[in-house]
Amino acid sequence: MKRWRYLLGKIGWAFFTILFVLILNFFLFRVLPGDPARAGVHDPRLKKEAIEAIRVRFGLDKPVINCFESLNPIKIGSCDVNPLDTQFFIYVKNLLQGEMGISYHSNRPVVDILAERLWNTILLIGAGQILAILIGVVFGMFAAWKARTSIDYGALIISLVAWSLPTFWLGIILLFWGSNNGLPIGGMQTPGMSSQPFLVRAGDIARHMFLPTLTYTIVYMGEYMLIMRSSLLDVLSEDYILTAKAKGLSMFQVLKDHALKNAMLPLVTVIAINLGFTMAGAVQIETVFSWPGLGLAIYEAVNRRDFPVLQGAFLLIAIAVILSNLIADLMYSYLDPRVHTD
Amino acid sequence: MTDLVTSPAPLPTSRLTDFWRVFRRNKMGLVGLFMLITIVFVAVFAHVIAPYDPSATHDVASSDIYNPPSAAHWIGTDDAGQDVFTNFIFGARVSLIVGFFAAFISVFIGGVLGIVAGFFGGRVENILMRFTDIMLVIPDLPLMVVIVALTKKPSLLNIIFVIGLLGWTTTARIVRSQTLAVKSRKFVLRARAIGAGNRHIIRHHILPLVMPILVVNAVLVVSLAILNESTLAFLGLGDPTAISWGQMLNYAFGRGAMSTGAWWALVTPGVGIVWVVLGLTLFGHGLEQVLNPRLETHHLMRPRPIVKHEATGKPLRHATRQRVPSEAPILIEVDNLSISYLTENKPPARAVENVSFTLREGELMGLVGESGCGKTTLMLGLLRLLPAAGQIVDGEVWFGDTELTALTDDEMEAVRWKGISIVFQGAMNALNPVRTVGDQIAEAIVKHNPLMKGKALEARVSELLDLVGISPEHKKHFPHQYSGGMRQRAMIAMALACNPKVVIADEPTTALDVMIQAQVLELLDSLRKKLGLSIIFVTHDLGVVAEMCDSVLVMYGGVTAEYSDVDTIYNTARHPYTQELLKAFPDLSQPDKRLASIPGYPPRLDDLPAGCRFAPRCPLAFERCHIEQPEIHQLSERHFASCHLVEKRV
Repeated sequence: MKRWRYLLGKIGWAFFTILFVLILNFFLFRVLPGDPARAGVHDPRLKKEAIEAIRVRFGLDKPVINCFESLNPIKIGSCDVNPLDTQFFIYVKNLLQGEMGISYHSNRPVVDILAERLWNTILLIGAGQILAILIGVVFGMFAAWKARTSIDYGALIISLVAWSLPTFWLGIILLFWGSNNGLPIGGMQTPGMSSQPFLVRAGDIARHMFLPTLTYTIVYMGEYMLIMRSSLLDVLSEDYILTAKAKGLSMFQVLKDHALKNAMLPLVTVIAINLGFTMAGAVQIETVFSWPGLGLAIYEAVNRRDFPVLQGAFLLIAIAVILSNLIADLMYSYLDPRVHTD
Repeated sequence: MTDLVTSPAPLPTSRLTDFWRVFRRNKMGLVGLFMLITIVFVAVFAHVIAPYDPSATHDVASSDIYNPPSAAHWIGTDDAGQDVFTNFIFGARVSLIVGFFAAFISVFIGGVLGIVAGFFGGRVENILMRFTDIMLVIPDLPLMVVIVALTKKPSLLNIIFVIGLLGWTTTARIVRSQTLAVKSRKFVLRARAIGAGNRHIIRHHILPLVMPILVVNAVLVVSLAILNESTLAFLGLGDPTAISWGQMLNYAFGRGAMSTGAWWALVTPGVGIVWVVLGLTLFGHGLEQVLNPRLETHHLMRPRPIVKHEATGKPLRHATRQRVPSEAPILIEVDNLSISYLTENKPPARAVENVSFTLREGELMGLVGESGCGKTTLMLGLLRLLPAAGQIVDGEVWFGDTELTALTDDEMEAVRWKGISIVFQGAMNALNPVRTVGDQIAEAIVKHNPLMKGKALEARVSELLDLVGISPEHKKHFPHQYSGGMRQRAMIAMALACNPKVVIADEPTTALDVMIQAQVLELLDSLRKKLGLSIIFVTHDLGVVAEMCDSVLVMYGGVTAEYSDVDTIYNTARHPYTQELLKAFPDLSQPDKRLASIPGYPPRLDDLPAGCRFAPRCPLAFERCHIEQPEIHQLSERHFASCHLVEKRV
């Protein structure tokens, strides 16, 4: 019962957060002045009919939402508009139907562009994240276990330096090195590869993935290491570790059966919270390595002033991060039996 | 176990000099501070240091572009033929300005929100923290990119505001939890009781204690802001008129430095960013270690090797061995055991010195003394479970025919639990919270009897729980689902899992209420009779052990005060400390008599008095007691006491 209430609470909260992001995403792209389609409405060179045509095309002729004709919060408009016929609800309705508008740049539906990019980003982040966590956890464990020795200090300094590296710069340096050593300089596969057998293609993609994944791993492992270290230090000074030792368990058994799971708990939360930062890394790494993912989509959309793609990509990233957080919460409740009683 | 934990040094909160004295010793923090000072210096005196004027327009020939380092251009030229070194130096200005101003906005917002939420609580807190949670989940860099891209012309001011307005979430969370912690402290409650207003309390009581954490956090926020600025600039969203390091990288990366092989244009700006961010990180790390010191020691640290120096006391082994042959065989014989805690730059704390006792089959020995008298240390030393700082410096521990201090670590593991098991005080933390109780009991069985599996193992766990009065279906439950008394009984069941010969009960009833205490004691006593166990019962309460014990060892300040059978201790105690302890014990025949407590505290183990350790509190102390430490005197066949008063009458 308690478990269900906990789960429902978390799911409800994620839902509420998504709603907030939807609203934010809607208003951001209407309040700020940068969108040429909307800014163009004020261009004195345009004829009245042309302005009207643009307004109709982007649905700007409709009231923003009930009681608000325009985005001016002081000016109160009519409240008895059909709510389904306002800009906000049309936006939500379109989203629910998987409709995110048409790219200014390529004239293709934004959904199609993002759909093919999403998996590339998941592939890159997934590989990088798994490696960063594995390396971070192992090093963090060693550092904590050997606390106050030179191993500990060495690991600490390495992780602080890794943390301080700007992701994009590390990417540039590695790319510079890699391109002089025969590694591909960007993209996801060599042109003409699509006709090759699967294994050859996979090998080609792996070669392209090597540098971006390496960059990602180096930048994020430092943080996981620091967290694992301090978390394990906390756990190892708990009384139940002494009990386990008193039971005659060996050092290795105590670490494996009593310390690790408990120390991993805070890490689960941090990994989830970090997913937001992770996306920051994806934007930079994909830009440097021209990796065709969501991050590169954002970079390209910014430079091409392709606002429908930018809006869609931001929304997709935000929702992905919120859902990952939800999954982490649910995992936590499975890992830590104490959660439901709080 | 409490007497092992030394509290961290008091925080140097008010005085800057105090702070500096501690910080000076932190190497990482000093290096970070040095890195910061140099870069601030460079930024402030940029126009003096830089060899060229970055704003001067000059004719650029194609031969000026991406020139490698030379005498005229120390680190070469960039895509516009400009001096990289000059741009690098002026880039420090932009990065630092953006970093500090944006961080100021973030820290201000986060600090105010955190204090308001933490201080006022209730609905205000709920709304603010929910909002913070939402902002924390939204990926910040993509949001910054969207906002900056949507503002028509990115200017430095816009960028500062965007980074500042989106970077406050972690600050708000940290400040809130610190405010919550401070709010319920005594002096704040007292100020409120006197009638101080909210503003006064926040300004004079909350802020000073939140400030240190806020400063550490601010250092982190500055470094994040600098990283964000450079990332935005690199993505082409920077102010094109302000040459920042990110902007330099944007131009170099976008305009062919990679294909020209102009590494200097790519490496240099990044070095600047790493220099500042690493400086901030190291500095922040150092600050944190000074303001919030933690003892980085734990139970799995490599124990110190046992190094025995020359014996300082008179061996008692032969004396205690003289026994009537009809008595039960000896199980444990501790001979002149001494244990010290060694910390750097401090004299060793002599926690246990020359303690000897014997434990026979079926015997229940009470180990009595106030907190901090070395009881727990003695017991942990017996099992070689001392914390990393602890070291056995002298003596022997015989368990049957084995000398425990001479065993290897592996051999010692086999003795633990199967030979001697221990029940710790405060069973809440002594059981692993994420594993079921049954699982933890089974683990001990399997460790020492790997052949026990499946149904037999299950049956044994149920039998053990049943033995201590816990219904076997509770074995599937987690420790937090047990009550305090149940947990302690489960701990006892676990201690019995491998049929040990000896069970050490280290203040097993301390955290429990009186009724449960009595139950646990009764349980231990009945188990002893049923299973023929020997028990060492550690307690600070002489009354607790009076009815059950066969013998009593009274410890004071790490040494044996008095050791004898229970009747002798209760009827003819000779050591003044034992006599004082007995006075503190309610006598049922004289219910009106006032209970005496001994004024003062046991000595600090790192600062022991020169003479008898009890002398400063002893009502009978005379001159010699303050100068010379008394030896342990044998008063009768099984009565020992260390007191100068005893000597005369022998």
